[in-house]
Amino acid sequence: MSDAPVPARQPTDWKTQAMQRRIRRRYAAERRFRLMGLAAIVISAGFLAFLLVTMLGGGLRGFTRTEIALPIDFTKAAMIVDPDVIAGGGDVADRALANAGLPRVTRDAADQAFGPGAERWLSDGAWLSVRDAIKADPALLNKRAVIDVPASTDIDSAAKGDPSPAATTALAKLRGADAIHTGFNTAFLSEADATDPTVVGIWGALKGSLLTMFVTLLLAFPVGVFAALYLEEYAPRNRWTDLIEVSINNLAAVPSIIFGLLGLAVFLNTFHLPRSAPVVGGLTLALMTMPVIVIAGRNAIKSVPPSIRDAALGIGASPIQVVFHHVLPLALPGILTGTIIGMARALGETAPLLMIGMRAFIATPPSGLTDPATVLPVQIFLWSDEVSHGFVEKTSAAIIVLLVVLLTMNGLAIYLRNKFETRW
Amino acid sequence: MLRSFALLAVSALALAACNDQASTGGGARDQIRVVGSSTVYPFTQLVAEQFVNKNPGMKAPVIESTGTGGGMKLFCAGVGAQHPDIVNASRPMKASEYATCKANGAADVIEAQVGIDGIAFAEAKNGPRIALTTADIYKALAANPGGKPNAAKTWKDVNSALPAIPIQVYGPPSTSGTRDALAELILAKGCEETDAGAKALDSDAFDKRCKAVREDGAYVDAGENDNLIVQKLQANPNALGIFGYSYLEENANKLEGAPINGVAPTYDTIAGGSYPGARPLFIYVKKAHLDAIPGLRQFLAEYAASWGKDGPLVKRGLIAAPDAVLAHSAELLSNATPLDPSTLK
Repeated sequence: MSDAPVPARQPTDWKTQAMQRRIRRRYAAERRFRLMGLAAIVISAGFLAFLLVTMLGGGLRGFTRTEIALPIDFTKAAMIVDPDVIAGGGDVADRALANAGLPRVTRDAADQAFGPGAERWLSDGAWLSVRDAIKADPALLNKRAVIDVPASTDIDSAAKGDPSPAATTALAKLRGADAIHTGFNTAFLSEADATDPTVVGIWGALKGSLLTMFVTLLLAFPVGVFAALYLEEYAPRNRWTDLIEVSINNLAAVPSIIFGLLGLAVFLNTFHLPRSAPVVGGLTLALMTMPVIVIAGRNAIKSVPPSIRDAALGIGASPIQVVFHHVLPLALPGILTGTIIGMARALGETAPLLMIGMRAFIATPPSGLTDPATVLPVQIFLWSDEVSHGFVEKTSAAIIVLLVVLLTMNGLAIYLRNKFETRW
Repeated sequence: MLRSFALLAVSALALAACNDQASTGGGARDQIRVVGSSTVYPFTQLVAEQFVNKNPGMKAPVIESTGTGGGMKLFCAGVGAQHPDIVNASRPMKASEYATCKANGAADVIEAQVGIDGIAFAEAKNGPRIALTTADIYKALAANPGGKPNAAKTWKDVNSALPAIPIQVYGPPSTSGTRDALAELILAKGCEETDAGAKALDSDAFDKRCKAVREDGAYVDAGENDNLIVQKLQANPNALGIFGYSYLEENANKLEGAPINGVAPTYDTIAGGSYPGARPLFIYVKKAHLDAIPGLRQFLAEYAASWGKDGPLVKRGLIAAPDAVLAHSAELLSNATPLDPSTLK
């Protein structure tokens, strides 16, 4: 081998034109890339802002309700109810009030107070407010009382600044008598579905959602975490575990409607579980959420450094002690984040629940896991299809409730991650 | 942290278990279940609401909108707690559906007409104010008018008196009772008027020639969401929409009903029977469930009390049936008289 002399390296001449052009090009590429990234952020933020502005613009009105202060003289009303029976409470009182002819009394009172035809200014559910007022204070039956009852959809939208010609005169008359006010609609947060948009509530659907999520969490979390632990810590590396891994990844990508069909075939047609029940919805959504939890869990467990396992094993801990004393606590923040994100997805899911009948009209909130129920996204879907135009703002309001629940869940995920996360 | 999680999970499991036991014990059901037509759905909804308010101890009925065909399938699947008690129908039960019911043990079915609905053709307020006949609609919308594939592109192709705007109709999907009514009430009638040979055909060939709706884009299947059709019509004033009369009434400030054979869809023309697109609405009840499901009899009584001319259902958009029909229906319900299968088609 000959030692050929290495030619002396010329220092780069940064001032040549070719070199300057190259540098300019590099800087331009850098700027372009940064701008594209910025544009991507601006576009997605724009979409989010548009969504929020339209939803809040249409939906905040849905949280308010117009009420008419209706004077009723119960001593002269055409009804016979024994105040003592009402004061006794219970089913007897409820039944007595239900059959006392309150709808008629309420309508007559409106005609008397504001002139003939005024009964149409009241919501169809106005008498329910009267009923509840009497239930709260049976002494009302012996005197003249002023009760706040919900106004009809027309009056309601007129009071919120969207008047129809007929409603305008009615509104002026009511304002003249100082008998109308628009305030926060607490009933919207405490009642269930109804046919009249002025008396509907979201609580029935929200409770259905919570019950469904409860079943989902109960099933998907332990199964998902144990599957992840086994696959990471115990499973031998062979063809079978590869197959299982691929299957789980595929399962996480299966469209949700397929899980709905599965739920229909297995839980309803084979096991004969009740239709429309949160327990079936929860089981179906658990199937969908489980793979997400397994994948998140495996990643979290994988990121626990092997040195921790080795150290624990080295001082004599058994494998189960290693897992439960060291690996799982360290991986838990990651697992919880994955779980909550999976649950948030399940919360917004509609398609599989339609298949198992959770799209019904139910006028009372569910009282247990096997009671028929709907969930928030399905309620939004149902209201968007309603005939009465008063449901438009209620639909937006329901969307806001769903978004708030989702934001809370995601906020919880971030909080848990920050609180328990360990950095190495 | 782990321990509290485990504790939570176990206690929740226990809670769920006793809850399950409490409410499913014995497999009985303590609330009414209704499935079926989206057209009858709002009316049954209202009755259910009144039922809950008047009977405080009772559980709220569960009402699902599945379309008439889908509802019949669920309804006829058998007798027992897991099968619905009532099916809403925007057309009479078919003989084939009754056969399924009978095969599954639900032979005693009570039929009651609850009212009338009109399938309304409507256009936007600023539309061309098109006036159609049943024959025009048949020629424009049938898949094979007169046995040949439909080639009509504009309304002028169908009838030279009509404007030369493209045929574009938004309507319900094939699972809908409204679509069946379109075929029965409008297309079949138009077919018999224009095509003398059609009557001689056997029923399969008749259905193919007279009732099949074209699928080349002139008839747009808008799904079960009728609000969507209303929006589409506002965006496209040259298009026509087909839906239940209650939607036309609710959107009277946006839409205009299109007259058929010179009769516009209004409450009076539909109730009086002069509007060709009028159809009866039904509920079907399983007799075997009448005593098994608590509250079912009261629910039906509530229905009968609400469907009159001044009743709350009419306020919601139902068209009251003639008094004699309603009285007959109420009698059928209160006496639990099952329907006679030989009257079905």
